[in-house]
Amino acid sequence: MLKAIYRIAWKDVAGDLRRRATLSSMLFFAISVLVVFQAAFEPDRKEALRLLPGLLWATSLFTTLVGLGRVFQAEEEDGAFEGLLLASVPRGVIFFGKWLGNLLLTLLVEFLILPLTMVLFNVDAWQQIPMILAILTLGTLGLTGLGTLLAAMTRGARSRETLLALLLLPLTAPLLISGVQAVAATLVEDGAISPWLKLLVIFDLVYLAITPWAFGWLVEE
Amino acid sequence: MNILKKIQFFVGLATLISLAVGLWYVYQAPADFQQGGAVRILYIHVPSAKLALLSYLFLTVASILYLWKRWESADILAEAAASVGAAFTVLTLASGSIWGKPMWGTWWVWDARLTSMLVLLILYKGLMVLRHSLDDPVKGARATAVLAIIGAVDLPIIHYSVVWWRTLHQPPSLASGENAQVHITGPLLPPLLILSGAFILLGLYMVTVKARQIEARRRLDALEAARMHHDE
Repeated sequence: MLKAIYRIAWKDVAGDLRRRATLSSMLFFAISVLVVFQAAFEPDRKEALRLLPGLLWATSLFTTLVGLGRVFQAEEEDGAFEGLLLASVPRGVIFFGKWLGNLLLTLLVEFLILPLTMVLFNVDAWQQIPMILAILTLGTLGLTGLGTLLAAMTRGARSRETLLALLLLPLTAPLLISGVQAVAATLVEDGAISPWLKLLVIFDLVYLAITPWAFGWLVEE
Repeated sequence: MNILKKIQFFVGLATLISLAVGLWYVYQAPADFQQGGAVRILYIHVPSAKLALLSYLFLTVASILYLWKRWESADILAEAAASVGAAFTVLTLASGSIWGKPMWGTWWVWDARLTSMLVLLILYKGLMVLRHSLDDPVKGARATAVLAIIGAVDLPIIHYSVVWWRTLHQPPSLASGENAQVHITGPLLPPLLILSGAFILLGLYMVTVKARQIEARRRLDALEAARMHHDE
């Protein structure tokens, strides 16, 4: 089971690392979002520190959408998706494989975005980096879980990227709220971080429990 | 679907009568000592908010039934409930804003219930768009049903996360127990109860009309497909 998950994920990650298609477009999309934010708000150092949690999460969320549009790209042609479904493992395992591949790519991009944001916005919070990365990772688990399901749901849909954004953004409202509040709490002294971490964990657990089943209902023939 | 036609007639009649009685009561009810005449907006606002949520419940049950039993009628009802629910959500947001301007001095605040309602509206819209952006109607129906269930799981999480985030709204008007700080009692209560019933009937009526329309649409599409097939 674990081996099948790993194999499916590795197929996607290795394929993408060789072509650098998804990874580079996600990264450059993230940079252009940061440029847009800079031009729109022109924050000074103090404002930038206050805006940092929102900037990070908004950029991650938009960037995730770019990656999600391509989760099933490898399976678009020659009935490869049906081929994948024929594999003699439960549907949930296939889902977790696709999820893990997307998770790894998304995390890689987020880990690059964080120092980049700090440099571009002149924010001095280098000591908090491990904690912020942990929060980003925690949020991304559920985010990519829900996202991978929505990507499977909108396979072959017209104007798919817009549809993905329309479906993903409202459903991830709790994630955005708790993620932003948690990062904000690390940046101030004695900020209350634990309720937000709890909410992130609840979000992750609920989504990673329900999405493999939902994927099964979705692809049932 | 002749039964649906009969149900539609009687539900429509009952809706008209109860709406008329309820609105007459609202007209007769005294103005609130704090809110004045604006309190009457709540007789529309509170029932439509209930219907916005009830429609989602109805939609979820229909979606589960569709995935489980593959009944096409469950899918038709789910599709009908999505647009009816969206209509009541818009009515809730609009009436709330009209009430909020004189009472709070602002059309909109980012409080828990307003934010959840706005998210609910986007979710209804997503359900409607998803169904029609997939070419295969069966795939569209199944994807929409799965999304409806995901949404049903997410809505409470959204609600509680926004409650934690900020709360400025009045406590619910009809809550009981220690949490109830604002009591609607005496002459204000009957119109609210009657209108809540009337809105439930109205919602049912709208769902039956919409369901019949969707059913006719699907029959036409099937005929069209058969004709195209015949021509080839």
